Amino acid sequence: MSGVAAMTKGAFLRIDRDRCEGHGQCAIMAPDLLHLDDAGEVVIDVADVSDRMEAARKAVQACPAIALSIE
Amino acid sequence: MTTTEIATSSIDIFSDEVLQDPYPHYAALREEGAVVYLPRNDLWALTRYRTIRDALENSSVFSSQRVAFNDDMNRALAGTSLATDAPDHRQLRKTLLAPLTPRALKSIEDDIGSKADRLVDDLVARGSFDAIGDLARAFPLQVVSDMIGVQGVARENILRWGEAAFNVLGPMNQRSVENFPVAGELFQWCKTVRQEDLVEGSLGHGIFESAKRGEIAPESCGAIIHQYVAAGMDTTITSIGNAIAHFAAFPDQYARLAADPSLVRSAFNETLRYEPPVNLFGRHVKSDIEVEGTLIPAGAQAAVLFAAGNRDPRHYDDPDTYRIDRDPADHLAFGYGIHTCAGQGLARIEALAILSACARRVRSFRVGEGQRQINNMTRGLSSLPVLEIRAK
Repeated sequence: MSGVAAMTKGAFLRIDRDRCEGHGQCAIMAPDLLHLDDAGEVVIDVADVSDRMEAARKAVQACPAIALSIE
Repeated sequence: MTTTEIATSSIDIFSDEVLQDPYPHYAALREEGAVVYLPRNDLWALTRYRTIRDALENSSVFSSQRVAFNDDMNRALAGTSLATDAPDHRQLRKTLLAPLTPRALKSIEDDIGSKADRLVDDLVARGSFDAIGDLARAFPLQVVSDMIGVQGVARENILRWGEAAFNVLGPMNQRSVENFPVAGELFQWCKTVRQEDLVEGSLGHGIFESAKRGEIAPESCGAIIHQYVAAGMDTTITSIGNAIAHFAAFPDQYARLAADPSLVRSAFNETLRYEPPVNLFGRHVKSDIEVEGTLIPAGAQAAVLFAAGNRDPRHYDDPDTYRIDRDPADHLAFGYGIHTCAGQGLARIEALAILSACARRVRSFRVGEGQRQINNMTRGLSSLPVLEIRAK
């Protein structure tokens, strides 16, 4: 496997800013992975969640606006 | 395409019998199929968790042009965020949501908490009261009226209006017919309300300011206020009332909450899963779609049974058991996708404020027999006497 392919391996939380309405449920379900900043915008704190899949899936599942996914 | 035989059921999902205790009927439908045709209602019921989430996500096929179950209301709702599809939905939604985002609500969160503390202090001092009239109704009435700036006669009517606004979303049965004049009073008030009728500095007052600045059309002020009143009352009222009823019905669960009030957020999610305030909403099927082997034809109306999906054993373990530590944040009570409840942030603030005020003060309590409130769309109680309280 090439170096580039190895670097893109893993699982990453992705926010669709167009869909996100700031309900904040992701940050409640996975406070170690994301938080809301003072302006109410979601901030991803942990880039690669491949070893935190359970928490990441909970956050995705709790988003009412279908704005969060794992890629 | 091989389509299996269509599952059907002869029940009327808006009958008194079903609304009195819908869960055994919903369970039967869910086992009948993911999609069940109901000839008496001419509806295609979506019954399982996964099916419902997928349909709500697929809003281009499952259109919101028919969220109500009668044509008159669908015409009345045309042009609102609730009943509009993408792309026009986007701007309407943005306007509606602006004062309801968690960020916007931060400024009133402390005030709502103080109001909840004062109300519960007063009720605990009284020792016996009606958990619906004196608490579940009294609190959102105060919070939502203050927020929108409603005063005078209109404030006295808001509870009647809020309940009627949901009844008339049902089919044209007796309940709808009786409630149309009451729901009409709310439409009429929203159409004629002027800025000076609303308290200065309130959200309602501010909507007219936005119109003056040219941000929204002047004629849409009333429609926006209508959505806040119609959607903001009975939903929050029934969910707070249901939570108190669940705490009373499952005292071991309430004891855990009283011992650890930080469980209140999870407990409220479980209440919304166990008995969502709104049983169902409608969707208009825009094109033929095959769902779990059943072809739903274009032009049909789907009944999205949130309450059936929330008890689907394919998704939740032991779904008929109420467990305050379950924390089912993915429940269907607020819907899902582009039309997910715009007021859910405010609903959470109100409910968590009042329920945690109870959990922090009340060790245990005893209730008498509650009365069920039969509504075409919502699930709640009309009274629940609290007979005795053991304060902490």
